[in-house]
Amino acid sequence: MGPDAVFAALLAQIRDVVPELGGHAFTRADSMADLGVNSIERSEVLLLTLDTLGLKAPPREFHGARNIGELSDLLHAKLAG
Amino acid sequence: MAPAISANSPIFSMPSLLAKRTAPVVTGLGVATGFGYGKDSLIEGLFGGRNLFGPLKRPGRQPPYPHAAFIGAEVPEPPDVLSKRVARTAGLAGRVTVAVVQEAWTEARLGELDGKRIGLVVGGSNLQSRELLLAQEDARGRQGVVSPHLGYSFFDTDVCGLVAETFGIRGVTYTVGGASASGAIAVMHAASLVSSGEVDACIAVGALQDLSYFELHALQVMGALGPRDPAMHSCRPFDRMHDGFLFGESAAALVIQRDEASTGQECYGRIAGYAHIADGHRGPDPSLEGEVRAIRAALADADLTPGAIDYINAHGTGTPLGDDTEVAAYREAGLTAAAINATKSILGHGIASAGAVEAAVTLLQMRLGRLHPTRHLNDPIDLDLRWVRDEPLGCHVRHALSLSFGFGGINTALALSAVEREG
Repeated sequence: MGPDAVFAALLAQIRDVVPELGGHAFTRADSMADLGVNSIERSEVLLLTLDTLGLKAPPREFHGARNIGELSDLLHAKLAG
Repeated sequence: MAPAISANSPIFSMPSLLAKRTAPVVTGLGVATGFGYGKDSLIEGLFGGRNLFGPLKRPGRQPPYPHAAFIGAEVPEPPDVLSKRVARTAGLAGRVTVAVVQEAWTEARLGELDGKRIGLVVGGSNLQSRELLLAQEDARGRQGVVSPHLGYSFFDTDVCGLVAETFGIRGVTYTVGGASASGAIAVMHAASLVSSGEVDACIAVGALQDLSYFELHALQVMGALGPRDPAMHSCRPFDRMHDGFLFGESAAALVIQRDEASTGQECYGRIAGYAHIADGHRGPDPSLEGEVRAIRAALADADLTPGAIDYINAHGTGTPLGDDTEVAAYREAGLTAAAINATKSILGHGIASAGAVEAAVTLLQMRLGRLHPTRHLNDPIDLDLRWVRDEPLGCHVRHALSLSFGFGGINTALALSAVEREG
């Protein structure tokens, strides 16, 4: 799976968890916290994305990401092994 | 012999400004049953004669092993009160509670009050067992993926938080558990909080008990859940053919206020008195001594004699021992002149919700001046009591009792009185 597909998978989970963001034009620089996604919702987004990608990894490995672009890159790197 | 909780001995013993207690009034009602949402659907259902019962359909209600289908009644999907973002994280019990609170809140015009002076007592425990069972199955199937929302929402207090956040309630909120008497106990606590001055208005909720097949099966093998004949889709309280209760999802919200603190709207009636006592037994068996003591304590609390009671909304589950004990309690307490019906014959048994739903049904009938029939009461176990059988009964009710008993030796009685305004 390429980086664009991983980013799309992440966005799909954000839109499921926070339906109000369904019409938002996401960029890689967006921060979920700045968009009003609370900490429990951010955890849910990460867990659901890991599940969708078939990744088994502790969520804490992704806590350093400052925006959804960096998070997507970390997920893609993990997926690539 | 004093009741553990009564209107005269508030559970929160704040210094009361009321030298002589005035019984609080009910200024708003919200209900959900198998007939739908709102009081109109309930009234139509109580008097319309339509059968609600059939095989339960909600996921997690029928066992994944060979077994006759569980029979009961389920509420429709709740109306959209919550945002999609919140609704997707809320359980059925919470979403239905929000719907019934909205109806009661609007009617009582609670939006005109300071949220810090409004309380909430949710009756019921283990409210979300079906959804937790499904979540456990889902986590097994997905190799351990668990929603972080479950970390707070598995508590029954999530219902309190959901309602408080939705409506801006900032007074006291908590849950109370009393098995099948939970809803009635919530009414008593709400009345006490209002009488004591702790809050100006308190919402008592009988929450939807979201049972799974697992609890239904346990109730069945214990002998409480009917029907013994799977072809019989009926619950028959006080009839010689009674063979257990049927589960029926429901919920109710009652807004309780001090008379002088209400916003002046017409009220449904007064919480004239109440009692909640233990009979000192574990398990499901009823106690004649406990039931009689609760009835007498509630009457004393309301300053009423047994002869003053015009109507009894029975606990009436349809279990043979429960019905026989309740009838004996009526006789021993001297309640032989009152008209009696059993709401569970129509709605089924909502467990946590039942006491609040039946208090609401009692108040609605008092306003209507008409008592609903008791379905399938063809051959009463006691021929001398004044049953409301297959036809509604016109009745001017000045004082009523609503009885609720719970597993674990819990006995409650609520005395409800019409409001007689001067002038």
